[in-house]
Amino acid sequence: MPLLEVQDVTVRFGGIVALDGLSFEIEEGHICGLIGPNGAGKTTMFNVVSRIYQPTRGSVRFRDEELLTVPAHGIAKLGIARTFQNLALFPSMTLLENVMVGAHSLGRIGFGRAISRIGAASDNRRTRDHAGDLLHQLGLGALAFKAADGLPFGTLKRLEIARALAAQPKFLLLDEPAAGLPHGEVDGLAETIRGIRDQFDLTVLLVEHHMSMVMGISDRVVVMEFGRKIADGTPAEIQNDERVIEAYLGAPA
Amino acid sequence: MKPLFTIKAGGPTSWAVRVVCAAALVYVLLWIPTSGSNSLIDTATTALTLMGAALSLNLLLGFTGQISLGHSAFFGIGAYTTAVCVTRWGWSPLKTLPIAFAVAFVVGALVSLPALRIKGVYLALVTLTLGVVFPQFIKWPKIEWLTGGSRGLTDTGFKFDKNNRTFELFGWNPWGNLRGENVKPFYFWIAVVIVLIIYLICRGLVKSRVGRSLVAIRDNSTAAAVMGVNLALTKGLVFGLSAAMCALPGSLTAMKGTVTPDTALLTVIGSITFLIVMVVGGAGTLWGPIIGAIVYQFITEKTGDWVEPDKIPSLLRPFFSWSKTPPAAGIFGLSLVVLMFVAPLGLAGFWKQVVGRVVAVVPKPAGSTTLEPTAPSDGIPTWQPEEPLAEQ
Repeated sequence: MPLLEVQDVTVRFGGIVALDGLSFEIEEGHICGLIGPNGAGKTTMFNVVSRIYQPTRGSVRFRDEELLTVPAHGIAKLGIARTFQNLALFPSMTLLENVMVGAHSLGRIGFGRAISRIGAASDNRRTRDHAGDLLHQLGLGALAFKAADGLPFGTLKRLEIARALAAQPKFLLLDEPAAGLPHGEVDGLAETIRGIRDQFDLTVLLVEHHMSMVMGISDRVVVMEFGRKIADGTPAEIQNDERVIEAYLGAPA
Repeated sequence: MKPLFTIKAGGPTSWAVRVVCAAALVYVLLWIPTSGSNSLIDTATTALTLMGAALSLNLLLGFTGQISLGHSAFFGIGAYTTAVCVTRWGWSPLKTLPIAFAVAFVVGALVSLPALRIKGVYLALVTLTLGVVFPQFIKWPKIEWLTGGSRGLTDTGFKFDKNNRTFELFGWNPWGNLRGENVKPFYFWIAVVIVLIIYLICRGLVKSRVGRSLVAIRDNSTAAAVMGVNLALTKGLVFGLSAAMCALPGSLTAMKGTVTPDTALLTVIGSITFLIVMVVGGAGTLWGPIIGAIVYQFITEKTGDWVEPDKIPSLLRPFFSWSKTPPAAGIFGLSLVVLMFVAPLGLAGFWKQVVGRVVAVVPKPAGSTTLEPTAPSDGIPTWQPEEPLAEQ
């Protein structure tokens, strides 16, 4: 049984069709690359899975449960976490606090217990330690008490991964994690992604334009164009697929 | 520049500082009603009233980022709930506090419904409407039997009677009494308790998972939702709670005896005042509204005295000699401008900056790392960097 089943998903914004009957599946434990030219609908797909957009048609099943009836804030609890292409951090908070918010779905302290302080201090300590460990693991420990505002883009991209991991997800969606990274750091990032997949038993959906990285770490690759899937297979199959070469990869020089 | 002192968060020094500050606070709180003049007690009570309202607004606007210009209405709901319960049904004023809290909570939660869809200036407009409509609603002829219309209600507070009990500790009485001889300290202490309750509610929320989710909503609500924050429920509860807390100081004003719909704090002026107090003190900080209310009340009282030209300090007199009207409002406005220029993050933020130059607080380490946080060089603590994972 696949972990995520996307069936016939269509998203329309006014007259524009962003996703047009898209279907694909992701096996548990895989790193699945999602590639395609700009405007192909990759980020729209992310926003459908994280319930920011409501598709006009179709179904998205996660562990055999229909996602499209779950509210946006219920996704994290199911074990789905994501990062954002253009960063959606909390700039006024420190890195540590950002990651602590990432663990929101694991916490049980509501308004009543927060005001009465019943169990709130121990909850804070637990969350804080958990967040601190994740920051150290992603090499951001030295920056834990700095405000997120104004740090380099690559650092913040990494912070987004740490924040997403704080929810202890089963399924992680990474939206262009290598964008804005200097070339030398891309290999390190690929290593990190593979490392966290193995350590946390993750399934990863990866949108990325950095082809050597996608082809290097993906178990499967889905190629999109104009909101449709045009190919689906192992990296080797995709690299030799004529439609993909024509639409996106370009012919080898 | 390296700070002079380094303090470990949660260490003995930080606890010593806390104890000293708490002792100083208790001393001041006891000194005001026992040794302060009557006008000082009045000033302090007014400052505490503003403090309570600004703290409530701060939870909603400072921390959660939901603007409200309708808090004067919640303040008024508190005042009128108390006034109506006391005058029409003969309740004891203190027993009306929970009712005021509950009524304002319900109204606040209802107002939050549009707030779920709109934000920014649009939300400001919707809540502004509430603030404008409230005094008009009170004057509505059809409910005049309840609210007393534009004349308001009198005798809304405590009944003074020579036989009322007093509480004395060996002849020492910081509480005042309700025999009508010494009532000001009594109001002062009610105000203190109200502010303490509001502060503890805000502090409990802010320093918890809920507080982090509030700031997350303010900073990036989409990301907050993806992290699992229920936006509708959280905003609704915060709106209701903020309104409910704001009703408590409103209740207190009614306890002093009279309520009219044209009382400044019950009109939109009130909303603006709470906003100024909050911003001057520092929005989104726990202590901001507390400092803000003290400073605001101090400036208001000072400049309020300057109605005659010869009462203006000689240093400022030349600047206002052209004015035929009392320059109080102008001086007040100017001092606010100067204040915001010097301390754009409010006085609490300014204080943090100044203290941060001298004292560095090193936070407790987070997680199972054995690395000790080091003294900061730029005021921001750091760890010795580990080998980053990327370069392994």
